Amino acid sequence: MSVEDGPAIHLEGVKKSYGDHVAVRELSLTIPRGELFAFLGPNGAGKTTTIKMIAGLLRPNEGGVSVCGHRIGSNGLAAKSKLAYVPDQPFVYEKLTGREFLHFVAEMYEVTSQRRKEIIPQLIERLDVGSFLDQLTESYSHGMKQRLVLCAALLHDPSVLVIDEPMVGLDPRTVRTVKDLFREQTDRGGTVFMSTHTLEVAEAVADRIGIIHKGDLLALGTLEELRTQMQRNDHSLEEIFLQITRESDE
Amino acid sequence: MSSGRSPIIAKPKLELLLRTKVRSLRNQIVEAAARAPIRVWATLLLIAIIWVGLYFLFLAVFMQFRRTPLEATVAIPLVFNFFFLALLALLSFSNAIIAHGALFAKREAEYLLASPLRPRDVVTLKFVESLALSSWSLILLGLPLMFAMAQLAGDRAVSGYSFYIIFVAFFLVFIPIPGSLGLLLAWVFARFFPRKAVRIATIIGGTGLAIFMVWGLQSLKLGNTAPEIWLRAFLARMSFVEAALFPNNWVTSGIDGALHGKSWDSLLYLCVTLSNSLFLSWLAVNVVSRYFDRAYDRAIAGRDDVYRVAANPAGGVSGKLFFYLPMPLRLIAAKDLRTFFRDPLQWSQLVILFGLTVLYLANMPTLQHYFRETTYSLLIPFLNLCAISFILATFTCRFVFPLISLEGHQLWLIGLVPMKRGRILFAKFSFAMTVTILVTGASMTWAIVMLDIEPIWALIHLATIVSVCYGLCGLAVGLGARLPSFDQTNAARIANGLGGTVNLLASLSLIGVVLIAVGVASWYAEYRSATGIHNARVVGAIVGAILLSLAVGSISLAIGSRHFDRVEA
Repeated sequence: MSVEDGPAIHLEGVKKSYGDHVAVRELSLTIPRGELFAFLGPNGAGKTTTIKMIAGLLRPNEGGVSVCGHRIGSNGLAAKSKLAYVPDQPFVYEKLTGREFLHFVAEMYEVTSQRRKEIIPQLIERLDVGSFLDQLTESYSHGMKQRLVLCAALLHDPSVLVIDEPMVGLDPRTVRTVKDLFREQTDRGGTVFMSTHTLEVAEAVADRIGIIHKGDLLALGTLEELRTQMQRNDHSLEEIFLQITRESDE
Repeated sequence: MSSGRSPIIAKPKLELLLRTKVRSLRNQIVEAAARAPIRVWATLLLIAIIWVGLYFLFLAVFMQFRRTPLEATVAIPLVFNFFFLALLALLSFSNAIIAHGALFAKREAEYLLASPLRPRDVVTLKFVESLALSSWSLILLGLPLMFAMAQLAGDRAVSGYSFYIIFVAFFLVFIPIPGSLGLLLAWVFARFFPRKAVRIATIIGGTGLAIFMVWGLQSLKLGNTAPEIWLRAFLARMSFVEAALFPNNWVTSGIDGALHGKSWDSLLYLCVTLSNSLFLSWLAVNVVSRYFDRAYDRAIAGRDDVYRVAANPAGGVSGKLFFYLPMPLRLIAAKDLRTFFRDPLQWSQLVILFGLTVLYLANMPTLQHYFRETTYSLLIPFLNLCAISFILATFTCRFVFPLISLEGHQLWLIGLVPMKRGRILFAKFSFAMTVTILVTGASMTWAIVMLDIEPIWALIHLATIVSVCYGLCGLAVGLGARLPSFDQTNAARIANGLGGTVNLLASLSLIGVVLIAVGVASWYAEYRSATGIHNARVVGAIVGAILLSLAVGSISLAIGSRHFDRVEA
């Protein structure tokens, strides 16, 4: 099996501390290709720390992280070329127009001009960014920036899309579009790793769900598997989430 | 959607990153020219006026130096050597702060590091950016210096354009040396002291500066030796700044060579500076790039120090300091004071300034001992007034000017506060005035007592410093509201920006005019007027200077307030 055949994301015994505070403890998780994974947890549970380790921004104190078989750290560039990371606060260059920003990202990921000609108009239309694309991004609202960075993230057809709170600031129509885009991405064999507090979205689109609390992965599986685990077949994800985190606190 | 991506991305992308930065800058200029052309032209005009003023100031200083052969041949190169040595230290510190912020604290760095870019490209980009940010004002101020030097040397020495080209070239090739040191310092602090980087940097920098100042003042002490022997000993002690291995000596020697038509000598020093500059840049970028990911991780992971403090509705100790303000304004002023002291980047620089002032004041008895019996009895108090005014200008430019811009992200909140925006400006002004009056008033009173100044002159100097406080605080708050940088959250960058530079130049101009007026009046009263201070010209000059300062402060506040009222939240 070549490295390219490895799982989309693989975390093995990962631990990350901030001084005395352990943010993530002994986390082992494998996300196969073609899966839409929702990562849930209360504030300060360790979601963003985990995401930043996957994106190669933080180094685990123990364990290792691989993306598409490429170890983050030793083969970081190869891993990052397969990945698109969208943080909870979308970053754009304020003094570039949306179009300039898209072309900058396309060049950074070495997207061919042929693909640019095809994909940019498609994404502009899907995410409805055409009306403001030629304005400086400093004038954009949070939702407009979020739509633009989603366009930018999908430009190079990433094998793995890691996204922190994707639905914040989006209008209902765009939320629907983003859900559809995520599903299309996984249908083509791509992987989406999504951290969210919007449990309805996770319930509606996720193939598997992981719940982390105080650095520990408390639950992992499909919604049905979580229900079985909690012996609550009629419970919504919200009720399961609250029960798991409450029991952990006790 | 078919993939058109190359399989492995590892090509250098520095050119793309630089091109993007240039495009951002171009967009910013085009936008500023389209939205506020008058502001752009007014700023350029003001800078041109200040340039002319600085040119004549430098010219006057050099002409004064040239009056005696000893000063011309010994003092000028020594002063230049110290000037470039000080630049080396200050720019290293400034670059360290900027590079640390850009590489370890900005969201842009996070975005670029999550992209398939080599760390070397990101580090090089930030290195170039920090050089440009920390050094452009230096080049701006260096041009009048260059023209003044050329004017002084005369046509015989400065022929054609070679002097100007060499002068600019020296500045450009010198800047990467402190830039490289700053980049390495930023990396060292992120990597090894992630939690207390600023605190430790402040302690090391402050201690080093204090040792240097104490040593410098000790070197200046005359004792019982004859002036000639003292001068020889002093020059011998200072000769270390002319060591062949120091970059300041290469630049000074090179510029001196260019000034005196020794082009080959000058070119040799230029090549020495350039080669060292390139080597240091290469070394710094490679070392920081090689170990960047670990330093970034340590810097991010080290940021979880939690600061807890009980809230006090009346503003606590900070509130009591502003007892004379009505409640809403008192809370705003108290908030500014607390914010200031909770930001290590801000207070650490104040500590350095305050340390310098304390050292200076501690040596006041020595000055009094030297000059009490001489004809310089009024000169020392006047120089004291100058020193305090310049320290004050540094404080207002660095700390007061950014106050309005730092409210950028809370403008919506200010917009909801049930009071006129102008009142908020008044709260900022009150905060600045209270702090500066307390510090400068105490310093000036101590100096007056130590120097045993006549009561009338003591009163004049106190009135002058109070008016200068008013003028500088008014300028900083007014221009801060008129030329804000609401998108910036870094006070140092706000102070170094275009608005900050305009404020710096305007502040220097104001204290320049006030001090010249008071200085000339002092000289006239002491040596020319038969009636001493009781002379209409003397009184007119001093009152005029005080009124000018008050007027500048008030007008600036009015302009700032009118503009701030119109800013949309």
